[in-house]
Amino acid sequence: MIASMLRAGAVLALPFLAAGSAQAFELKAPPKIAFIYATTVKDGGWNEAIDQGREALADELHTKIAVAENIPEDATSLRNAIDLYVKRGYNIIVGTTYGYSEAMAEAAKAYPDVAFFNASGVNNSDNMESFYARTYQAWYLAGMAAGDMSKTGKVGILAGFPVGVVNWDLNGFARGVQAAKPDAQTIAVFTNSWWDPVKEGQVAEAILDQGADELATNLSAASALNAAEKRPAGAIGYQLDMSAAAPKQIITSVVFHWDKYLVPRIKEVIAGTWKPEPYGWFEGLSSGVVGLAPWGPNVPESTKEKVAAAEKQIIDGDLKVYAGPVLRQDGTEVVPAGKVLPEEDLWTMDYFVKGVIGTMPKTQ
Amino acid sequence: MSGFLLSWAATVPDYAAPLLIAALGLVICEKAGVLNLAPEGVMAVGAMTGALVVMGGQGPWTGLAVGALAGMALSLCFGLAVVVFRADQTLTGLATVAAGLGLSGLFGRDAVQKPFTGLPRFGETGWGADLPRLLGQQNAVIVLALVLMVAVGLWLGRSRAGLRLRAVGEDPAAADVAGVNVQRVQLLAIAASGLLGGLAGAYLSVVSAQVWVEGMIAGRGWIVVALVIFAGWRPGMVLVGALLFGGAEALMPRLQAVGVAFPVYIGAMLPYALTLVVFVVAMLRQRGADVAPAALGRVFLRQDRH
Repeated sequence: MIASMLRAGAVLALPFLAAGSAQAFELKAPPKIAFIYATTVKDGGWNEAIDQGREALADELHTKIAVAENIPEDATSLRNAIDLYVKRGYNIIVGTTYGYSEAMAEAAKAYPDVAFFNASGVNNSDNMESFYARTYQAWYLAGMAAGDMSKTGKVGILAGFPVGVVNWDLNGFARGVQAAKPDAQTIAVFTNSWWDPVKEGQVAEAILDQGADELATNLSAASALNAAEKRPAGAIGYQLDMSAAAPKQIITSVVFHWDKYLVPRIKEVIAGTWKPEPYGWFEGLSSGVVGLAPWGPNVPESTKEKVAAAEKQIIDGDLKVYAGPVLRQDGTEVVPAGKVLPEEDLWTMDYFVKGVIGTMPKTQ
Repeated sequence: MSGFLLSWAATVPDYAAPLLIAALGLVICEKAGVLNLAPEGVMAVGAMTGALVVMGGQGPWTGLAVGALAGMALSLCFGLAVVVFRADQTLTGLATVAAGLGLSGLFGRDAVQKPFTGLPRFGETGWGADLPRLLGQQNAVIVLALVLMVAVGLWLGRSRAGLRLRAVGEDPAAADVAGVNVQRVQLLAIAASGLLGGLAGAYLSVVSAQVWVEGMIAGRGWIVVALVIFAGWRPGMVLVGALLFGGAEALMPRLQAVGVAFPVYIGAMLPYALTLVVFVVAMLRQRGADVAPAALGRVFLRQDRH
């Protein structure tokens, strides 16, 4: 699930394992689709966002899609589930976590006539494609809104563990904050857990106590937003539109729209035109898989306009979130002016950018 | 600096209260000689039930009460297995954890991540709006937890029933000869621990988070098990331990928020490391045997009486 999906970044020195030939994949039988989840789909976060994509896909194709939940991220459990589905004639199988990567790649080798997809995975082959979104682009926009609205010049964000795909969100957010207010600071705190609404609420308060007047969560518990609502401080959610948790104070949420990827992709598979991306599918705002939820009631028009302008620039490719100069927290240079952070360095990001208050645990 | 300390101190009771409540229950249970590893599962059921009741339109106190009762129900299943059917206490405890987590996931399925209004803090009520921060951050259950601690301490140490319960935990055979109904005492102790474990779980969902998520106990049940060992099964020390564990947990994110380079993983390890140290020290001083109830974890069979 999300835990291991995010661990991806920590392990990932090389981003995606490449596939070989450029032959389009063809199904040998009528399409039958199954989704496999590591946790319940009703998690109010990562899995539920993917499941919404699955529902949209089912509506679009007028078909039923099988769902298996709580399949642990070990090779045996996943392989059993895949074997059962394949035996029953399923030939499009979608996994939803980094932890499935290796076992699913093995299965893809064993069943060359079955199309495999894995969200936040790392393996790709002639019949398997991993997919993830450039979430840091949406976080940059969220940061701009928070920075623009902040009066204290301090905003906060809480997150799970310090791994690449989390760190790029935090740093993207901080750079967005600075784009709106150059001297604003971003307080970043790791909870060191993925599933702890009690802690997330308490950590949110710790951040607000340090003077932040806008608060974002990179996790999915409503309690953090609830703390902001009570303070009151502006609130930004993640994965799904979390406005229900802070109806007055919500600014926006960084949300996934996996249907934007799944629907056209699975249609390609069915049409026989699908060629798996050799390094996995990895797109951002322009694809629509990640973006911002509708604005909250307190967001001024001027903020909305600024963010909309930046969004257009990112989509057009005129604005790169990690374009130099990028400085580390201590002022050392990561990317010089005029250069852009190389793609593979995204996955191994293990530092905070300048302007972040927080502790990045040392990995070595 | 004083602002930092004040805001930290004000949040410590919220971290400590659920640990204290569940650990008091566990002390009662283990003083009666029943080794109980079930808190994680019992708290999960309490949290889920409490949240569902409040979401269903009932008040937070009803949610806390029903959560406590649900915890007691699961705990009694554990009691039935270990006291009546004499199953192995360690294994049954672990099975109860699994059952509790599974049941809460099953019944709470459609309630995940739906925020609700739980028990307000003193500072959020009409009469308490002007309280200083240190008091305004607290809530009625925290007061209840302190009252419970004193009550459990007095009851265990000073009352006839408490003496009987401790006798069962030290030497069930002797207690049996003295006319104590060993099984009934143990079942009641297990029920009490379930009641308090369920209340602690419901505290987490109804008071702290005001939202329910599967797996939200997140290891606190295991901390409670460690805490009771740490405290040497003494209610007063349970309070000290809960404040220590809760205080450390509350401090970690606050240090990060001001940018202090503190090794977070060591911090997260601290409660467990501390428990180990205390345990080892107690053993080295050859007090270990005195500290733990002598018959803890032993299944009492009347026919084996010596």
